[in-house]
Amino acid sequence: MSAPMSAPMSVVANKRPFDVGHAAYLALNALLLTFLLAPIAIVLVFALNPTPYISFPPVGVSLRWFEKFFAGTEFMNALWLSLWVASVVLVLSILIGGACALALARGNLPGRAFLTAFFMSPLMLPAILTGLALFQAYLLSGIGRPVWGLILAHTLVAVPYVIRTTLAVLHNFDRRIEEAAAVLGASPARVFFEVTLPLIRPGVFAGGVFAFIVSFDQFPVSLFLVVPKGETLPVVLFNYMKFDLDGAIAAASMVSILLALSVVLVLERLIGLKAYVKL
Amino acid sequence: MISGARPSPIAWLVAPAALLFVLFFVLPFGVMAMMSFYSGNPVTNPNAFATTRHYERFIFDTAGIYHEALWSTLSIGLVTTVVSLLIGYPLAHWMARMQSRLGHALVLMAVIAPMLTGIVVRTFAWMTILQDKGVINTLLIQWGLTDKPLPLMYNEFGTVVALVHIYVPFMVLTLTGVIGRIDERLEQAARSLGAGRVRAFVEVTLPLSLPGILAGSLLVFALSISAYVTPSLMGGTNVLTLPMLIAQQVGTSFNPNFAGALGVILLLVSLAIVVAYNRILARLSGEQGMA
Amino acid sequence: MRSGAGLAAIAAVGAPSILHAQTKTLKITTWGGKWGDVMKATVLPAFEKEFKCTVSADQAFPFVPKLQASSKTDPIYDVLHTNSNEQWNSLSEGLVMAKITAKEVPNVADVYPYAVSDKIVGVTIFTSAIGLGYRTDKGLAKPTSWKDLADPKLAGARGGYIIPVNSLGQCHLMMLGKVYGKGLTDLDAAYKALEALKPIKLVDFTGQMEKMLLSAEVSMGVIHDSGVYRYDGPNMQPVDFASPSEGVLALEQVLNVTPGSKVKDLAFGYIDYMLRPDVQKLLAEAVWYSPANTKVKLDAKYDAKLLTTPAKVATLIQPDWKWYNARKEDIDARVTKILKG
Repeated sequence: MSAPMSAPMSVVANKRPFDVGHAAYLALNALLLTFLLAPIAIVLVFALNPTPYISFPPVGVSLRWFEKFFAGTEFMNALWLSLWVASVVLVLSILIGGACALALARGNLPGRAFLTAFFMSPLMLPAILTGLALFQAYLLSGIGRPVWGLILAHTLVAVPYVIRTTLAVLHNFDRRIEEAAAVLGASPARVFFEVTLPLIRPGVFAGGVFAFIVSFDQFPVSLFLVVPKGETLPVVLFNYMKFDLDGAIAAASMVSILLALSVVLVLERLIGLKAYVKL
Repeated sequence: MISGARPSPIAWLVAPAALLFVLFFVLPFGVMAMMSFYSGNPVTNPNAFATTRHYERFIFDTAGIYHEALWSTLSIGLVTTVVSLLIGYPLAHWMARMQSRLGHALVLMAVIAPMLTGIVVRTFAWMTILQDKGVINTLLIQWGLTDKPLPLMYNEFGTVVALVHIYVPFMVLTLTGVIGRIDERLEQAARSLGAGRVRAFVEVTLPLSLPGILAGSLLVFALSISAYVTPSLMGGTNVLTLPMLIAQQVGTSFNPNFAGALGVILLLVSLAIVVAYNRILARLSGEQGMA
Repeated sequence: MRSGAGLAAIAAVGAPSILHAQTKTLKITTWGGKWGDVMKATVLPAFEKEFKCTVSADQAFPFVPKLQASSKTDPIYDVLHTNSNEQWNSLSEGLVMAKITAKEVPNVADVYPYAVSDKIVGVTIFTSAIGLGYRTDKGLAKPTSWKDLADPKLAGARGGYIIPVNSLGQCHLMMLGKVYGKGLTDLDAAYKALEALKPIKLVDFTGQMEKMLLSAEVSMGVIHDSGVYRYDGPNMQPVDFASPSEGVLALEQVLNVTPGSKVKDLAFGYIDYMLRPDVQKLLAEAVWYSPANTKVKLDAKYDAKLLTTPAKVATLIQPDWKWYNARKEDIDARVTKILKG
């Protein structure tokens, strides 16, 4: 079945009778989404299950774990610390990583392939080594363990994501749009800010989401670099859980999911994954 | 296509990243790599001496577990990457092509949520689902599809499932940006010229999304070969990867020198793979005549 | 000797800064969970008030690598709280003191012999017994021997630990040597017995073992008494603890002081404080640990199950961690090969 060249896809789909192919496509995606969400549903069940240990099937619904979580200053402090560290890391990573990706894609740097691999290397090393190496370095140089040290360590492991996603978008980039704008009289700066940046926004946004999440959920590096009373949420949860295995960590997990999702949603509204220009 | 051997002024944008990496990556790891050639910590221990025994221990592998750990690491990484791609691509495609802003936001949240669950709780959730008395086995036995529980956990299967679950979101988010940039009308043009839906996808969309596929695969591969918390919790002793060994050496054998040597080895192997990947990526983008 | 007027003058001039300068900080390590809750809510604030100091408590395990990386003259901790095996590791690197006597910590005079035996580096403040946990609703007889874990009926339904990373697993291995061979150091017999225990489900830490027992994923597993007894009262589960006849292994909570600590007196004061009967009682009853101080009087229900008499304490076996740690790398490689696949 053919469609007129200028008609968008959705109109074409509406014209068909029951579309087996499309239904299969949707069913597949629904199944895959189930795979992604099933463990989270389980976590929710734990969080609401009143038994003091993790069990299935659930025996009831209770909010006691959420109460325990909100009443515990330690959890709350850790949650806020994780949130604001992740926010700072987000901003830093987007700036540093985005700039680096542009340089790698457009700057004609020598040894580009090597440099790209180099900037990816924090991802390939077990984070426990990164944490230990930085810990040793901080102690040797007398920095100690300040919060900015933690933030920069997170930024180190977050930047590769931004670089990677921005590069992926830059590779599939039609330079002629920029050239057209230049031909029409726009200065290079204007071309950059009004044409290039908006077009690479989805890549930068995806990288930024990664950076936020990677920092928020970061565990091994934080393990070495946090100080007493200044622990991030994953560290607090892990050490709580080694000792006590009740629903409080499930409640903590649910709360942090909801909070982090809200942040991502706000980001999506502001920067927009779908906000790209179509010719 | 911009050609020319000299770097353009844009190249300077690499400076902040370079500075960050030199100070926080190269220097600390330089120290760690140096320490991997010592028997102890030369700064705090006057008895520490230079030695290559940590590397010899890996290379000669008299214990019989180190080489296997490296292969295990790479094979789990590869399987995880392929499965993540197979699961991630349809989701990314769906998300990129979705018209509804609300639907897009919902799917985005559903895709990101696994990444936010937290390493510990997520593992316990999988234990609940995959273990012998877990959800899947209980249902399978109840429905009479099997009479003995399937071993879904404490082995490579459980490890890969849990790793894929964490990394599919990374794959999706990498791909969706690239797929979203592909002009839908290219596919429609192919359709109007007589190609079926599948053929239009395979011959138009898929090749154009190749940079995203490679970028996403590289990312997931790099992550899965460095993961150790999840394989430790999900794999029992049936799974032993190099990162798990490194974590054991740091956390329970208190041998950061050997751990550092293992880290250097892992990094060198990974870098070799990544450089090859990037060469392919560059060549393919070059062939398509873009950027 | 200061007069009231003198004090008032000092207070008027700059009391906050002076007091601040005098407030020392004690850097300790502590577990999380219920233990950490009690410490932070009750024990540590009371200590800070009495000794006029601040306590900085690190909960981010592992502790020894961090101590290892810090300088010996300015260690990152003053007091290290960890299990026996790690204290021995730390000693071998000169990170902790070899012996602590009643001279430094007066309450040491009141502890059971095991707390300061030659198998201990530092001072034990609490201990648990490592034995067998089992489900009471699976028709199993209460285990009387470590050999009961190898019962063929339990194939695939028994639990153990990943030995390289868990000291209970390491204790279990040594116990196999004793039960099936010539003693705790008979590794050949232990390896053979380990092979015979397959199939066995192995986990990283005791919390996972608890979960496996509670969800009936395993019917019997190696676990310490605290991990079973804490589910009492309204939380009661069909899981019980058995002390095998060959003896139970000691899982000790040990405190030690770093040689480079700048507040040694305060550190010793802290250990002494943790050995006080009232503090011991509070923590023991919160997490079901057996107190090291002989003078502690626990409530009846705790007293019945924990190791609070010389007779019960005599069942504790303390492994030679110095011996084990020296061989750990080889043992780790060997058990990994045995248990893989």
